[in-house]
Amino acid sequence: MRPSTQQRLHRGIAWIILAGWGAFTIFLVLWVIMASLKSTRSLFGKPFEFPSSPAFINYSKVWVTSHFGEYFLNSLLVVTASVIGLLAVALPAAYVLSRGKFRGRKALLNFFIFGMGIPIPLLFIPLVVMLSEIGLIDTLTGLTLVYLSVSLPFTIYVLQGFFSSLPTDLESAAVIDGCSDWQVFWHVMLPLATPGAATVAILNFVGLWNEYQISLVLISAQENRTLSLGIYSLITSMQYSGGNWPGLFAGVTIVMVPTILIYIFLSDRMISGITMGGVK
Amino acid sequence: MRRRMVFTFLAPAVLLYLFFVMAPAFASFYLSLFQTSGFGETPRWVGFGNYAKLLADPIFWLSIKNMALILVVGGVAIFALAFLFTILINSGIWGKKLFRALIFMPNVIAVVALSTFWSFIYMPRYGMLSNLFKSLGFEQAAAISWTTPDNIFWSMLVGLVWISTGFFTILILAGADKIPTDMYEAARIEGAGPIQMFRLITVPMIWDVIAITMVLWVIEAIKMMEFPFAFGGPTPSQDLLTPSIYLFIMGFGFRQPVYELGYATAIGVCMFLFTILAVLVLTWATRRERVEF
Repeated sequence: MRPSTQQRLHRGIAWIILAGWGAFTIFLVLWVIMASLKSTRSLFGKPFEFPSSPAFINYSKVWVTSHFGEYFLNSLLVVTASVIGLLAVALPAAYVLSRGKFRGRKALLNFFIFGMGIPIPLLFIPLVVMLSEIGLIDTLTGLTLVYLSVSLPFTIYVLQGFFSSLPTDLESAAVIDGCSDWQVFWHVMLPLATPGAATVAILNFVGLWNEYQISLVLISAQENRTLSLGIYSLITSMQYSGGNWPGLFAGVTIVMVPTILIYIFLSDRMISGITMGGVK
Repeated sequence: MRRRMVFTFLAPAVLLYLFFVMAPAFASFYLSLFQTSGFGETPRWVGFGNYAKLLADPIFWLSIKNMALILVVGGVAIFALAFLFTILINSGIWGKKLFRALIFMPNVIAVVALSTFWSFIYMPRYGMLSNLFKSLGFEQAAAISWTTPDNIFWSMLVGLVWISTGFFTILILAGADKIPTDMYEAARIEGAGPIQMFRLITVPMIWDVIAITMVLWVIEAIKMMEFPFAFGGPTPSQDLLTPSIYLFIMGFGFRQPVYELGYATAIGVCMFLFTILAVLVLTWATRRERVEF
């Protein structure tokens, strides 16, 4: 059936609204990158014009003088370690919570899910007191452990759902063939769960890369800062430095480009991962 | 599955979760009954004193007001946009997946990064809005200061709605995608328009999804911190204060140290109780028998 004129009109309007909203996001990203290559004078004078000669010096300044090189490595280290640790801990737990037959399974699962409702700021002060006592305050190890732990509820929830959606006959076949419980998990279930594991890994990587409220509370030494924390410290120093906006936008570009690149290649997987967790 | 395996597989996750999430959460209830700065000083038991002080603290009430505005006004805007985008994307247009990806995209960019862009939009005189209005010849609009105490909260809220809409859109969209298409076909033959179909088919069919997303928004809104905090820049205005930001300032200070640890924790406990209460009320208000299909 060919769409009627009225339908075409409706679709045209729909398309314009959606394209406008989407264009704004693209504009934001491109504009920030463009602004990061300008001088302060041209940024304020002609904010919508391309820089006549790109000022790459903004990047070398922010990378070296503002220590973004170190922050980048810190972020990469903390976030990678958190995600690997998270998978190592959450995959077995989610598997048992999905397939195990023991009393209190459902209650334990709900106990984890309950964690999604705890406001993170509630944990700020007890965490600082606790980490100070065990000597992990202001360390990347402490930050990693906290990142890993606060990501558990969402990760276990999604992975548990993923394991439950897998067919059971392969497991039964493996058991009949004489596989031990451990072998079933390692050789049968884990390979099947790879897509789900990859999805939660990406989601957590992006989420933790962008996180800054926990690191703001736990990290104080300059050499331990993560990238988002680096941006935040640039924002707070603007008052004194007289506002080096192009430098700030160079920092912003450094923090946002990695996640945008991940998103360009994996947006479908990320979106389906989120909706898998939220809508069932 | 043997008992030993169940135990070994669960132990690491349970221990980490207990130690770094649940223990601090419970400790905060206890800590909120003391007055302490945390530095070697013996905490002084004050019972519910911190809570009594909170009730009489006008700044705390200001943060509650802001939280309520974010929750209600922001929530209405976000859900209105999410519904609108769901209708538009499902109206059979070209580029469905692309639009879905673009609408969600702000969620993958660091909130601090986005806040710098929004600060530049609203900057007085040199900002993007001022420049845009100037080049269009609207001198009066260009002179509006978006960051005055009267305006700054609403300026922030616009950015916040823009950031948050994508997440709720994709959830509602995913729910709507599961509805069998023949229902829409039947409605179309009967002559229903996109808005009617949304109201009479989509909403009732995905009511449980809508209820869950609303719960997620309530949790999100009550603990709101990152965007308003970074948007406030070097000197966060009181008009951007949320309970989380107030907690942070009371606990760790801003520029000047405050270190009212017990008091700050009491704010956190209040937020937690609000969350539980709001989720219970919302779940009760949205209860309805699930439509099976």
